[in-house]
Amino acid sequence: MSKRPPITNRVRELREEHEKMSQAALGEAVGVTRHTIIAIEQGRYSPSLETAFRIARLFGVGVEDLFGWEGE
Amino acid sequence: MSFREKSAWVMGAIMLATGLWYAQLVMAAPQAPVIGPLIPYVLAVIVLSIVAQVILAIASPKEADSPADERERAAIDRAGYISGLVLGFGVITAIIMHIGGWSAALLVHAIVGALIVSTIAEYALQIFYFRRAIR
Repeated sequence: MSKRPPITNRVRELREEHEKMSQAALGEAVGVTRHTIIAIEQGRYSPSLETAFRIARLFGVGVEDLFGWEGE
Repeated sequence: MSFREKSAWVMGAIMLATGLWYAQLVMAAPQAPVIGPLIPYVLAVIVLSIVAQVILAIASPKEADSPADERERAAIDRAGYISGLVLGFGVITAIIMHIGGWSAALLVHAIVGALIVSTIAEYALQIFYFRRAIR
């Protein structure tokens, strides 16, 4: 139940590439809290498809460029 | 720490403290009319909860105003589901004990106790899920 999801992501990397956007600013832009962005970056939470698309669109990348499967 | 986690800590502490006080009142006079310890307990929970939520909201007005996001909702839902099981187990146990000879007053106290324990469990589980991986 509290196992880490087997999904990797580049949220932190893309956030830093985008003028070091803060976690709070990203959260506000996509409709989640700063703590949820932190949990996504740390791999503790897999966002909903809607939030995944919102983050990807914000950074101008595809969802598959943002999220990956562990080990692939 | 997020607003909702702070709120869960504070509410859990209130429920624990008032729950212990309620248990003390009941144990002091187990066969006294149920209303005796129940009314002050309910009033204490209401007043302390309102005061705590107002203080938390003043401390973080922006967070207090925004609804729970998808991760927080998932954590709250899962905690609510498990605490519901705790409440159900407590109520069924209380009814069985009543059939076995417990007075109606003890039945009511046991059900209130189950409600208190399940609420404490709910806040503890919320904190757990806010901090741990959830999917």
